Amino acid sequence: MASIAAPTTATAPTATAENTGIRSWITTVDHKRIGTLYLWTALFFFLVGGFEAVLIRTQLMQPNMGFVSAETYNQLFTMHGTTMVFLAVMPLSAAFFNYLIPLQIGARDVAFPRLNAFSYWVYLLGGIFITLPILFKLAPDGGWFGYAPLTTPRFSPGPNIDFWVLGLQILGVSSLAAAFNFITTIINMRAPGMSLMRMPMFTWMSFVVQFLLILAFPPITVALFFLLMDRFFGTNFYAIAAGADPLLWQHLFWVFGHPEVYILILPAFGLVSEVLPTFSKKPLFGYNVMVYSGIMIGFLGFGVWAHHMFAVGMGAVADSIFSLMTMLIAIPTGVKIFNWIATMWAGEIRFTVPMKFAIALIAMFTIGGISGVMHSSPPADLQQTDTYFIVAHFHYVLFGGSIMGIFAGIYFYYPKMTGRHMSESLGNWHFWLNFIGMNLTFFPMHFSGLYGMSRRIYTYDAGQGFDLFNKLATYGTYLLVVATLIFVWNFLRSRTRGAVAGNDPWGAATLEWSIPSPPPEYNFAQLPEVTSRYPLWDLKDPKMTEGIDHSHADPMQITDSHAVPVHEETERHTAKELGIPMPLPTAKPLFVATAMVVMFSGLLFLHNGMFAVAMTVTIGGAASMAIGLYLWLTSPLE
Amino acid sequence: MALLALTACGGAEYPNSTFNHTTDFNTAIDGLWNRLLFWGTIVFVVVEAGLIYTIFRFRKRPGGAPAKQIHGNVALEITWTVIPAVILVLIAVPTVKTIFQTQAPAPAGALTIEVTGHQWWWEFHYPEYGVTTANEVYIPVGRTANFVLRTKDVLHSFWVPQLGGKRDLISNKTNLLWFTPNADLGTNAWNGFCVEYCGASHANMKFRMFTVQPDEFASWVAHQARPAALHDSTARSAPAGYIFPAADLPAHVLPQTPTPARLQFDDALLAQGDAKRGETAFMMGGCIGCHAIQGNPMAVSPIGPNLTHFGSRHTLGGGLFPNDDHHLARWIKNAKAMKPGALMLVVGIGEYSPDLKGPVTAGLTDAQIADVVAYLRALK
Repeated sequence: MASIAAPTTATAPTATAENTGIRSWITTVDHKRIGTLYLWTALFFFLVGGFEAVLIRTQLMQPNMGFVSAETYNQLFTMHGTTMVFLAVMPLSAAFFNYLIPLQIGARDVAFPRLNAFSYWVYLLGGIFITLPILFKLAPDGGWFGYAPLTTPRFSPGPNIDFWVLGLQILGVSSLAAAFNFITTIINMRAPGMSLMRMPMFTWMSFVVQFLLILAFPPITVALFFLLMDRFFGTNFYAIAAGADPLLWQHLFWVFGHPEVYILILPAFGLVSEVLPTFSKKPLFGYNVMVYSGIMIGFLGFGVWAHHMFAVGMGAVADSIFSLMTMLIAIPTGVKIFNWIATMWAGEIRFTVPMKFAIALIAMFTIGGISGVMHSSPPADLQQTDTYFIVAHFHYVLFGGSIMGIFAGIYFYYPKMTGRHMSESLGNWHFWLNFIGMNLTFFPMHFSGLYGMSRRIYTYDAGQGFDLFNKLATYGTYLLVVATLIFVWNFLRSRTRGAVAGNDPWGAATLEWSIPSPPPEYNFAQLPEVTSRYPLWDLKDPKMTEGIDHSHADPMQITDSHAVPVHEETERHTAKELGIPMPLPTAKPLFVATAMVVMFSGLLFLHNGMFAVAMTVTIGGAASMAIGLYLWLTSPLE
Repeated sequence: MALLALTACGGAEYPNSTFNHTTDFNTAIDGLWNRLLFWGTIVFVVVEAGLIYTIFRFRKRPGGAPAKQIHGNVALEITWTVIPAVILVLIAVPTVKTIFQTQAPAPAGALTIEVTGHQWWWEFHYPEYGVTTANEVYIPVGRTANFVLRTKDVLHSFWVPQLGGKRDLISNKTNLLWFTPNADLGTNAWNGFCVEYCGASHANMKFRMFTVQPDEFASWVAHQARPAALHDSTARSAPAGYIFPAADLPAHVLPQTPTPARLQFDDALLAQGDAKRGETAFMMGGCIGCHAIQGNPMAVSPIGPNLTHFGSRHTLGGGLFPNDDHHLARWIKNAKAMKPGALMLVVGIGEYSPDLKGPVTAGLTDAQIADVVAYLRALK
């Protein structure tokens, strides 16, 4: 396509000795390399979660199928949910946070580069910790929601749930550390002149998500800590024989769990808000309202958790309140949808692969949103909850929303990350197979659910009216496998064979496109001074941005004496040549993360009565962690 | 819109459809559903049509109009904030009304049925009549059935898709759910499910609900309340009560679960089963450790399903298998092989028992199992 022809000045990126090799990856503190690590790891877990889904759908292809046993199936659906939520979609968003936020706000790196590395290593080790048991048929089997009392030692005596409790606790540390890091980065490290209302929409949505993370993770941390105490130290937080109320777990879990779904979707909304204006050649319609609606969704998201619990018998008043709050969320979400369509209205739409995914998000998320409003009415939800109608709903918002948005982001930013384009034709194949496969998989689930098929069942009987819908869904899953394999192939081969991209292959508006692809380690040789919301359009096509406010840097902002007007950078140097101080590479975050995982895993020995071993490993891990932290905090950053 | 087709059908093709007007409860829900579907369809059509129109109308064309640099439009944005809000009000008002209507206390004169969830079977108790049964529940049409929901272990959820919405069974808590089957419903059978994940055999925790005429119900409940035992002459001489006729069972309530191939039982032995010997085997073989049979003074344990009038039931194993000799024999021999995670002990000699981590040595032979089958079959 002519529209993405690279400028002739662009050169293919070359690897130099000091930025290759395993050692450099282990010790890196560069946000771009950490983002790349996040991306690769999360894609790997995405494939793992997808493989689990394939096994699930194969078992459900026909009634009374004997493909996997009940116990295996229960582990598979638990791990599919846990993997997709915690190890695939959240880290895929984190890959973009890491890679893009500093570039979009014109910073050299995040506020705490070493903490950033720590977040990644904790995620990797936690992901391995929670995934490995499935190879030994010991994987968690209590559902991704882990309802007590089923997860208490009385009803789940084996080690399965132990891995889940400890694994989620470990992963929570990673999310929290990263969230504090990004909030600090966004508040303190914006380029001169970039006021909050000039930030790119992806950074804005990420900013909201970081607050959701630091507010939503404490409740589940508490809930998991109670369960951990119950399982390892004999407390009775959830022991029903001692009079515990199982709703304690449900409330704590969903106070986390509902904001969590906005944590999963808002980054995708942000990515789509970058892609649509670029390929419509128009600014985002109603930027301010888009910001407010994102904040509103995040804020209201904390007041709707009990709509997951309409069947538990909370009483008419609570049901009504949570129902109305849930309906309210539809309004800011609807505003976003309409604003996206308005963004494209009267534009010059180029149907590139990222644009197709972004448009697909609007179309598919709308369907999920409509079924979401259907569950928001508690009496209607009493016929829907715990059925495949719900499965259809959240796959339309998560696969049709988050995953579509993330694919849009990957195709859009791949040239920035690698300096090369992904193949357009393979991308088109991927898009259409993915789109058809997704609808074939999840649309029939609306029907099987409303016709009475419940969730989390490893088999169903013949003659119940479920057969056709399950068959279709299974074929759709196989189509998604083909689509995903095409994507993987495209992702891998384009690294060396894609068309060279150059700084700004798409004609986008924000700072990350003003520097070479892939960006040099220092990001910006000279920090740009931002004078409007669309700095690159100001530079390349001033007519486009006549309608918005421009200014010189706000004198209240701490301006960097080195800042220069926004400009294109084409030359590559090393930080040393330019005299830019860079944080030193260090393996200490990896050491501390490893020590922390060792500390947690020591508890596993308690169940085999190996008290001495458990204490040795746990205390040893804790001591190593303390020593590692001391060394980390006393060594200079630069 | 394929969704519209949803409401149009139901019945035989979809025997667990939620689109019915069989009770006051699901009639109220279906009214709400139709409203949700109506507005949902309108929103869907408007948004998707607008999206498709936009991307075709404004695609980049050679010689096409340049992009208009619009940054926003307050009037428009207020419009598409207000319109969804109005639609939501139209949904919210009947929603709240229905919530309060369906969660009000059950009307006076309701039939109380205490439902207790167990991993993975259902216990039904009629306090008014002193009847305890398992996995099959009879309710008369025209009278409100008020289900008092409790659980003995983990969380479960009580759902008969064709008769109304669901309600969870929460440990240490009592939940209520009531509905009134329409008086013109006739005699019919419905599938019930557990819909809250409750462990290994969650999928196999089913039950059957029979809506019957008031006189049929009276006959059934009077019969069930009497002891059922071989040596109890009063029980034997009493007239048999009403049982939902096997011939009238719709196909979808008859389970088709396959039996595991490795579980062998010589069906020829069943013909030689003797109920009297079976009663002895039942009392000596450990069955009374878990099962109660009203009229058999040895069998009083509340742990497992109550087997009084077991012969009058159409299913066994939590609604997983048809209640015939072929399945019952295999169930007694090795319940754990028949149903993943089942708590019932393996009693067939030579079968592998996970509890013993080896083969069963002190249990029942196939011949003894055939006797027990005959005994249970006699408990009509």
